[in-house]
Amino acid sequence: MTNDLILQVEDLQTHFFTRTGVVKAVDGISFELRRGETLGIVGESGSGKSMTAWSILGMVPHPGRIVGGSINYLGENLLEKSRGEMRDIRGSGICMVMQDPLTSLNPVFTVGDQLVETLRLEYDEPKRSLRQRAVDLLANVRIPAAEERLTNFPHQMSGGMRQRVVGAISISRAPNLLIADEPTTSLDATIQLQYLRLLKDIQEQTGAAIIFITHDFGIVARMCDRVAVMYAGRIVEQSDVEDMFDYPAHPYTEALLQSVPDLDTDVDMLPSIEGQPPSLDALPEGCSFAPRCPYAWDKCRDYPDEFTVADRHTSRCWRSE
Amino acid sequence: MAAVATPNSIEASTGDQALVRLEGIRRHFPVYRGNLLRKHTGTVKAVDGISINIMPGQTYSLVGESGCGKTTTSRMLLMADKPTDGDIYFDSRPMNQFSGAERRNFRASVQAVFQDPWSSLNPRMRVDQIISEPLVTHQRLSRDAVRGQVQELLQVVGLHPFHAERYPHEFSGGQRQRIAIARALSTRPKLIVLDEPVSALDVSIRAQILNLLKELQATYELSYLLIAHNLATVRYMSHMVGVMYLGKIVEESPPIELFTDPQHPYTKALISASLPAHPRQQREEIVLTGEVPSPLDPPGGCAFHPRCPFVMERCATDIPVLREYQPGHATACHLYD
Repeated sequence: MTNDLILQVEDLQTHFFTRTGVVKAVDGISFELRRGETLGIVGESGSGKSMTAWSILGMVPHPGRIVGGSINYLGENLLEKSRGEMRDIRGSGICMVMQDPLTSLNPVFTVGDQLVETLRLEYDEPKRSLRQRAVDLLANVRIPAAEERLTNFPHQMSGGMRQRVVGAISISRAPNLLIADEPTTSLDATIQLQYLRLLKDIQEQTGAAIIFITHDFGIVARMCDRVAVMYAGRIVEQSDVEDMFDYPAHPYTEALLQSVPDLDTDVDMLPSIEGQPPSLDALPEGCSFAPRCPYAWDKCRDYPDEFTVADRHTSRCWRSE
Repeated sequence: MAAVATPNSIEASTGDQALVRLEGIRRHFPVYRGNLLRKHTGTVKAVDGISINIMPGQTYSLVGESGCGKTTTSRMLLMADKPTDGDIYFDSRPMNQFSGAERRNFRASVQAVFQDPWSSLNPRMRVDQIISEPLVTHQRLSRDAVRGQVQELLQVVGLHPFHAERYPHEFSGGQRQRIAIARALSTRPKLIVLDEPVSALDVSIRAQILNLLKELQATYELSYLLIAHNLATVRYMSHMVGVMYLGKIVEESPPIELFTDPQHPYTKALISASLPAHPRQQREEIVLTGEVPSPLDPPGGCAFHPRCPFVMERCATDIPVLREYQPGHATACHLYD
């Protein structure tokens, strides 16, 4: 892993201005990402993990707005870019890879047309050479008989193939950063594995950094170098991946890791987390996890600072003070 | 016999008598072409000859990828569909010979909890109406008795009596699933079909619901038919697991044996594809070639042979039968002949 920084998010705040008040979906988060590195952003629904992704892409939906902080991509602050510049960056530098191959391709165009359409943005070349590039791309993601496949419509391909086509489109303009947002309802294990392998493949070929937006620690364990755990709009713990699994510092991380059943051990009763994730328009004072936390004490009425618990490992919990 | 028994009747707890027995169940869907001159062009064998026993107070899990026939199997058990062939026995009585009373009793005795509590609860009904609907359908009770039962059920699933007057949209996913469980419990069933009961829920909520289901099983001696694709969940919940591939059970075993010593290559592949619990944990990678074939045109011989890393010559022609190679652990694979 080299040391060049691709993304540096600092004190990012994305708020939603609704009729009933301000919802702080992302409330001051910071992290960085280097070339070839994979970061997992783990959280439950409403934790702000997806909104972090949309913020980086400059696609925060109405009535949301980025109200503070900075997103530095290759040394430039994305928040100062115009819409047109952002559109360009989205296509070429930062790329979203959808997990669901069925909905990401247009059913009425051939796979070749869709690839060429993307490539035309990058290369000012005649159609024939663009088609050749498309063939190379498909071959890169290991689609056999790539040339014939160009004339296929998406429905003529299997799910795994379509996934690869989506992968090919996303690497067609040599991205530096891939964002993989995973829907809550999961795919079959074997299909998911194929998708994860494809992303690793792409990463090896392009050296891109990857951000995984996920609720699943299994994906983090398999894919990531770094992990950031989000709860109610904030990163509550952040560290290298093995450190997090070995020494979780935040009670939320600890409880979450324990509450997931393990395929290789037997337990009678899983330790579970009481209560439910808080709704963002009615957050408790102080630490937002305190109402569900078995260790909560007086001090938790103030929001905890970020404490360093080990090398490259921080936690927002007063117990780590 | 199908007497109206309480869930914790004593006869049900004796081991060797299954509550539900599926015997050689097939469900074939004919495929037609054209509207006017309908031509029978093929058959989708969604379920193709499976036999399972669901014991009282135990969980039987079906695992396998989308399209393997798990849900079709559960639909037949819920009387939402009829098998093309084979028999389903409930308390040792074949379902196709049920009298009207037996049928009504059966419908009350088998309930279901589905994956998505956002779509499985009617948004226009209050929680007490949702929970009491099966009660009102199956039993003649006074309004006060119904109200009492609703309150009790709410408490049993960890909700509060005052929740009865609210609507589904006022609840989080975990709470909704509790409501769905309360509704399923209302008729005092013996068997609940759980179709992916936690996969639509937040991670921190899943353990709560799984634990609740386990506690209810112990208290009321419930049987579960669990359909899930998360193998760790299956291991946590089950007493018996059946692995399905293209409408057939390819391996059946208690979970510990299945996950520590899988025999069928497909089971091995499924386990190797499941995500690790720790970054240092490495699984043996078994890469399957190709995709699940179309059930319209399944391969001859062993349906898994085109993707199997250990394929032999006879796999293309001979259909392997499910056989016990170790006590309690059956596999349908020629490797073990």
